[in-house]
Amino acid sequence: MNDGIAGKLAKQFINSKITPLLMVAALLVGIMATFMTPREEEPQIVVPMVDLYIPYPGATPAEVELRVAKPVERTLTEIPGVDYVYSTSMPDFAVVTVRYKVGEDAEKSMVKLWSTLMKNMDKMPPGVQFPLMKKVSIDDVPVLNLTFWSKTKDPFQLRKTAVGVADELKKIKNIGDVEIKGGLKRQVKIVLDKEKLRQFNVSPLQIARQVQLSNSQMRAGDFKQMNEEIIVRSGRFLENADDVANIVIGIYGSSPVYLRDVASVVDGPEEVNNYNFFGWAAAAPNGSASGEYPAVTLTVAKRQGSDASKLADKVLARVDNLKKGFIPADVTVTETRNYGATATDKVFTLLEHLIVAVVAVTIVVGFFLGWRGALVVFASVPITFALTLLIYYLLDYSLNRVTLFALIFVTGIVVDDSIIIAENIHRHFAMKRQPKLQAAITAINEVGNPTILATFTVIAAVLPMVFVSGLMGPYMSPMPIGASLAMIFSLLVALIATPWLAFRLLKTEEGHHEEYDITKTGYYRLFNTILSPFIESSFKRWIAFGVVGLMLAGAILLVPMKAVQMKMLPFDNKNEFQVIVDMPEGTALEQTARVTKEISAYLKTVPEVRSYQYYVGINAPINFNGLVRHYYMRQAKNMGDIQVNLVPKDERKAQSHDIAKKVRAGVQQIARRYNANAKIVEIPPGPPVLSTLVAEIYGPSQEQQIALARQVKKVFQETPGVVDVDWMVEDDQKVYDLVVNKERAAFRGVSAEQIAQTLRMSLAGMDVGVLHTDKELDPVTIQVRLPQSDRTSLHDLSTLFVQSQGMGTLTTRLRAGEMIPLSELVTVQEKIQEKSIYRKDLRRVVYVTADVAGATESPVYAMLNMDKKIEQLKVPGGYSVSPLYTASPASDEKLAMKWDGEWQITFEVFRDLGTAFAVVLVIIYLLIIGWFQSFKTPLIMMIAIPLSLVGIIPGHFVHGAFFTATSMIGMIALAGIMVRNSVLLIDFIQIRRAEGADLKRAVIESAAVRTKPIILTSGAVVIGSLVMLFDPIFQGLAISLIWGGVLSTILTLVVVPIVYYIVENKSSKP
Amino acid sequence: MSADIKMKFFPFLVAIPLLFAGCSNQNSESLKSRSKAAPVAVVSVVAVRSAVEAGGDEVLLVPATAIFHKGELTAVFVVGADNRLTVRWISTGRSMRGDLVVLGGLDKGEFVVGVSAPALVEGVTVIKSVTVEDQTHE
Repeated sequence: MNDGIAGKLAKQFINSKITPLLMVAALLVGIMATFMTPREEEPQIVVPMVDLYIPYPGATPAEVELRVAKPVERTLTEIPGVDYVYSTSMPDFAVVTVRYKVGEDAEKSMVKLWSTLMKNMDKMPPGVQFPLMKKVSIDDVPVLNLTFWSKTKDPFQLRKTAVGVADELKKIKNIGDVEIKGGLKRQVKIVLDKEKLRQFNVSPLQIARQVQLSNSQMRAGDFKQMNEEIIVRSGRFLENADDVANIVIGIYGSSPVYLRDVASVVDGPEEVNNYNFFGWAAAAPNGSASGEYPAVTLTVAKRQGSDASKLADKVLARVDNLKKGFIPADVTVTETRNYGATATDKVFTLLEHLIVAVVAVTIVVGFFLGWRGALVVFASVPITFALTLLIYYLLDYSLNRVTLFALIFVTGIVVDDSIIIAENIHRHFAMKRQPKLQAAITAINEVGNPTILATFTVIAAVLPMVFVSGLMGPYMSPMPIGASLAMIFSLLVALIATPWLAFRLLKTEEGHHEEYDITKTGYYRLFNTILSPFIESSFKRWIAFGVVGLMLAGAILLVPMKAVQMKMLPFDNKNEFQVIVDMPEGTALEQTARVTKEISAYLKTVPEVRSYQYYVGINAPINFNGLVRHYYMRQAKNMGDIQVNLVPKDERKAQSHDIAKKVRAGVQQIARRYNANAKIVEIPPGPPVLSTLVAEIYGPSQEQQIALARQVKKVFQETPGVVDVDWMVEDDQKVYDLVVNKERAAFRGVSAEQIAQTLRMSLAGMDVGVLHTDKELDPVTIQVRLPQSDRTSLHDLSTLFVQSQGMGTLTTRLRAGEMIPLSELVTVQEKIQEKSIYRKDLRRVVYVTADVAGATESPVYAMLNMDKKIEQLKVPGGYSVSPLYTASPASDEKLAMKWDGEWQITFEVFRDLGTAFAVVLVIIYLLIIGWFQSFKTPLIMMIAIPLSLVGIIPGHFVHGAFFTATSMIGMIALAGIMVRNSVLLIDFIQIRRAEGADLKRAVIESAAVRTKPIILTSGAVVIGSLVMLFDPIFQGLAISLIWGGVLSTILTLVVVPIVYYIVENKSSKP
Repeated sequence: MSADIKMKFFPFLVAIPLLFAGCSNQNSESLKSRSKAAPVAVVSVVAVRSAVEAGGDEVLLVPATAIFHKGELTAVFVVGADNRLTVRWISTGRSMRGDLVVLGGLDKGEFVVGVSAPALVEGVTVIKSVTVEDQTHE
């Protein structure tokens, strides 16, 4: 007998001693891999992103844009691999953000960027300072946040404790950045006394220079003497506040003037520049403190590729240790974020689901094959998964939601190979035509090759999904790769392990005889009654087709009727969300703190909220969403972030998205009272975007863009379901421009720079050095500044003095050192701060952003709704602006608008998945042509594919779910499974006809015989998918597989045989 | 089939502990009851006043006695419309005859506790029986 590959393999392994060893080894390796693979909740996304901060002191936004942002952008877009270039031109500096394509190597990208930038630095205008480059990556997102709060300690003391702990933690292996958010640093403040300065004839600039000069120590060198080298050094660093106070800054009369004479030197906390408070909320553990306490947050990031949960455990253990001594008893350390724990939690829940799925499928198999057969199948699945997990480990994948769902998803499919082999061995054992060993090998040979083909059909269906591009790619690609790997391993297991197991486990049972007369089975009678009328009467046949066609049309109609809505990904159930508070530009820090505090006080009463922490003037620890949205730059005085931690999801009934929706009204009511803009920010289930809804407005001038943006914003606000509307245009902020009178300054011997420096030193303060102390971990800066009470009005500023450099003309002579009041040299102009200029991909843009919630949850419908209103807007020039969907406008000559945000990703994903689907269809067609050597037959088999829509779309309607990207994946995968079913059907018809049966009988027989394996395989898929129904994100995949699987299977069993009958009947007659 | 039934029960199995978990969330009441502690009498409640500074700018004033510190942080107790106290973080400027200029954090006409005392905490209700000064200078 001529053995195929399958037969040869089976012969080798069926009696080999090595087979069980291989099985056990595979299992052990898999278990080890499961524990060694880093765990995380969301897949790792490598999107190299670099922020360039380019200072251009004194320039207006328009100047910054023209001279810095534009040329830099232009050179950066030339770099291969760059996806987007964004820039923001602000007064005095530009921020240029370069985003590379997903998956580009971060280090190489940095090198490319660096060299390109260096090449063009000579083209920068004079005055532009050296850019600061900051790489932003997912590993900057802290995995663990520890909040240090206390009823008795103040922010300064808290920070000191946290810094000490951070220093300890830095010693842990694999720890990334450790940062401290909030608190006040130690600082030596030189608080100037204006009166005394004048009295002693000392200027602030002089103080700054003297402090800098005094704070030096240097090795002068060495000399030789008597065979010895003697080191000479000079100077002494400033080591404490007394050193600073005793600096001689000048001579007045005949005595030295010490710094302490003209200023008070205070060693202590810096001036308040942030508010960070922590409080327990309604769902706090019993006995928690009810107030709100100063807090400092210590954030811990991990190194690339390390396991967050292991790191978090180590850090927590170390902190517990420190609590015994280093951390004072009245400082409480509360864990406010632990991604390690949530990841472990998620991974183990999913592994549990995986086991449930495997057991469920085994039970189904047990119904058809008996418990021994089920056992064979049950044993082969863990081996398949163990090997797949090993490959995950070797390929540096992490165990996350997507990689594990890939396994759950294929559970129903991977059992098929084993089922087919085991079932056939079982059948051959029952026939007893050959000795046991021979029978097994014959059985494997018989179904081996079709099994291989079937496996590749399914791989062909899922693998093209790898080509989903953009940010969604990394969320998607583990799915097809994991599934394909699992399929290949399942094939190997089916050919190597299953025969070994089956040979030993399956009994040649007595009395269970093969049914030779197929016409007596229930299946045959069933299909005879169903199929006969359609085969015999063409009228009934067309009615049947009509009904099926109507069902299909009806199902598809549900989409335009909005009964089933499209959305990229639904919201996940998380344990946290953020509230972002934006006060109008120019709001004082305390006012922002007050509004943020009031909103927090409301959130505190929400029953599901466990704790909250608000950060004003400083950004809250970021998450991946915040990383993409640049929330780490939220450090202005008019910005506040509230981090809201909910009770763990298994202890509450409401989903986090519903809670967020519920609190929105209350939060915004408070915000409106203070003219603030408050947004509820949830962690998006997929790749983050600037905002769910983004309208990009292009146009010839910034004024026109802003005017249109204002109208678009109004449309947003008036549309129900559109919430959190905002735009990226700053509010008017008052600016006092102190214009230097050049002539007068010249006559007084004062330079414009002196004036600017003096003002800056007085208002913002100037760091003039650091204290050289070895006890402090944070650097202690020495700052010169006016006391807050002396810098509150223009009047205060005009009484500042600058020192003349001396000036001599023919008529007058002014000696150097004369104190000139500022009020003599400047005139005040009140202005409005120029607005920042945003650019995206080399063009100016104004963003209007919003979220959707309530009336519509999918941005697409809100967009379609607003399109009509936006088209009716009146713009100068009298044309109408119709929003663009896929590409930015061709020119900036006319005003134009493009939708972006979640839409952009949705569009890319569905486009790529659609393309993948088309590729899948072609590959499947080719595979079947190769097998059946016919151009027509594959088309009949592929009828089953559209039929799955009859189940999929109403399925989503029944569950009230969105048709999401995962639904689409389900649909594509289902195509592979359904075609395989048709292959089984038609293969048998052809075998029977070759044996001489007439067409009608062959068709009915085939349906009757193949029903069992088809129901078995489809049933396995359906049952395996049930566990996925409970995950908010993969629900769509489950619905597609379950509903599509059930209906498509039923319809396939009826429609495919009939169509085959018609086609064959026609072609055989003439 | 049994698998099917099993799966149908699955949500219920999950739902049962969820229901119990939902019932145990009663500590929210303890928080509220704590904040509804007995009302406290305070010596004086004053309104935030405005005055015109030497330079001609309008400034807000609170009595220096109303202010308390937590390290570098400066605060007053604000008496809300419901007579409840809230801590308000403010920044202050120069002093003017026993009053301090408020640079940020307070609005004109808001009521603050005139003399802050360590016994006062956020959330307590104050008795309004004491005189409320509301004299506007200048």
